[in-house]
Amino acid sequence: MAKYLLKRIGRSLFTLVLIICIVFILMRQMPIEGYFQNFDKLTDAQIQAELKNQGLLDPMPLQILHFFRDMLHGDFGVSHSYRTNVPVTDILRDKLPVSIRLGCMSILVSLFLGIPLGTLMARYKGKFFDKFGTLFIVFIQAVPAAVYYLFIQMYGTTLLGIPLLFDPNSWKSWILPVLSMSLGNIAYYGMWLRRYMVDESNKDYVCLAKAKGVSGNAVMFRHIFRNAFVPMVQYLPSSFLNTVIGSIYVESLYSIPGMGGLLVTVIKDNDNNMVQAIVLLYATVGVIGLLLGDILMTILDPRISFGNKEGRR
Amino acid sequence: MKQEVILAVKDLNVKFSLRGQVLHAIRNVSLDIYKGESLAIVGESGSGKSVFTKTFMGLLDGNGFIDSGEILYYGKDLAKNRSEKDWKNIRGKEIAMVMQDPMTSLNPLKTIGAQIAEAIRMHQPEIKGKEAIKKQVCAYLEDVGIQDPERRYKQYPHEFSGGMRQRVVIAIALACKPKILICDEPTTALDVTIQAQILGLLKELKQKYDLTIVFITHDLGVVANIADRVAVMYAGDIIELGTCREIFFDPKHPYTWALLSSLPQLGEKGENLFTIKGTPPSLFKAIQGDAFAPRNPRALKIDFIEEPPYFKVTETHKAKTWLLDPRAPKVEPPEAIRNLKNLEVLK
Repeated sequence: MAKYLLKRIGRSLFTLVLIICIVFILMRQMPIEGYFQNFDKLTDAQIQAELKNQGLLDPMPLQILHFFRDMLHGDFGVSHSYRTNVPVTDILRDKLPVSIRLGCMSILVSLFLGIPLGTLMARYKGKFFDKFGTLFIVFIQAVPAAVYYLFIQMYGTTLLGIPLLFDPNSWKSWILPVLSMSLGNIAYYGMWLRRYMVDESNKDYVCLAKAKGVSGNAVMFRHIFRNAFVPMVQYLPSSFLNTVIGSIYVESLYSIPGMGGLLVTVIKDNDNNMVQAIVLLYATVGVIGLLLGDILMTILDPRISFGNKEGRR
Repeated sequence: MKQEVILAVKDLNVKFSLRGQVLHAIRNVSLDIYKGESLAIVGESGSGKSVFTKTFMGLLDGNGFIDSGEILYYGKDLAKNRSEKDWKNIRGKEIAMVMQDPMTSLNPLKTIGAQIAEAIRMHQPEIKGKEAIKKQVCAYLEDVGIQDPERRYKQYPHEFSGGMRQRVVIAIALACKPKILICDEPTTALDVTIQAQILGLLKELKQKYDLTIVFITHDLGVVANIADRVAVMYAGDIIELGTCREIFFDPKHPYTWALLSSLPQLGEKGENLFTIKGTPPSLFKAIQGDAFAPRNPRALKIDFIEEPPYFKVTETHKAKTWLLDPRAPKVEPPEAIRNLKNLEVLK
């Protein structure tokens, strides 16, 4: 197992290095305005001098090497236009924890509500609860999120008696954003868990379990749920990632000082150092997410063996 | 010799509702199963063999239901069972099942030890404690011929071959301590050498655990090997019932003749094997007369008009065919099946 893990981690690192190089090279093809705050007012000579000063006129391999060297020292350069001359790491250090906290809470809520939703829908397939759940899922998936986000904000704030804007120190303030972000995932988990459970419940081993006298509920939880959850587990880490990045709308709605929308803003502003750092961050989280998903799978499913036969089912 | 009846089915009708239509899967079947016998139910696919036995355990699919009739198990009518609680004391405890495909009938994510232990915990509550249960599991594994049970106990189904998995399934059934064991085509998915081993094992276990075995199969070689009595099913009805010898050496119903003629062992070199022409009747519509008549080249006129009753041949042998009526013309069984005695598989 250790060998398999090392191999996987090594491969993930390689993927990251590759992503960094590609993004780095692409960024160098961008207009050079992004490295200056007052590009229009500068003379050509000044521009060349500044570029040379930032090391941008060096050959590409050397630039990449320098980038990696700085990166390992925790230095991603400074922001040029988003917040002039503030180190990128400082900007992210303020924003990242807020988004991660929001994302973690939303995932927890989604799991706590989505799993029972899917399980109960599968248990009472075709009955009232299943129909009710389907209605909910279809609604969430069909209606643009922006619409119910607004409704939640409008009525939720009145109901809870809290101001529209976010206040990180009041726990009540977290409820509505977390709920808004969770709804999509609740529907998603519910839908897939129900589907996987219904699939499992039609399998022969379930019939055999019933034939040996295991009661309906016990079959549901001891056999069906556990087996249906395995394919779900794979997607949990990446859906967590999506929640962290994907909260643009919720964060702007409540003015939460998180990561949401940051990438879009800095790309628009040609703030190259920021773009690099954020893409690297997302890539890392993504690669780790996939790795964790696979590790969880191997723990839960004995058929997936480690070593040379990896991934065979 | 009068044998004790363990399970008596009386006028059982099972129906399925399918897309607004009603499929009459089991048509008025009566059958007594004697304690300690092995009864084989044979018939082609779709004849209702599996559905018939599934009603004994309440395992019909959601759209299937018992329309009328009784299933008496020691005097208790199982056909009246509705809720899970009613079945709790029957499933596993009294009647257990071995299913067709061992590759899919075990939970792939649980060790086989855990799956057998689950049955022991439910049906043998007198065995307490992890160690005691494990010991009992190993004993069952040894019973079904799995070597090195201590190591095998911790393994998952995918680490077993098909034949070995079927042995595990049998061990699970045994761990329930049932009185009746229903084997639903237990050897169909296995290759021939393994088939023989599994059949041998079942015979052995039947003695050891004093089981009554109901065997569902369409393989007549299996029937000859294991069965005391044979029930031939066609279109949801038992059309002939007799001892193994009677069915093989003195069959009465044209369908049984056709079935026996289809034995591949009877084929002559260079000639096509015998097949029964046509398809079984649709069970969505009511069947008039003898269900097999449209496929029977020697059908009588009355076969199309009125359903034949059972005609008694001997104390143990009866068949539903007008050929047994004293007024019927004498129709000889086909040439091919008169010399079944000489066949290797039947010895």
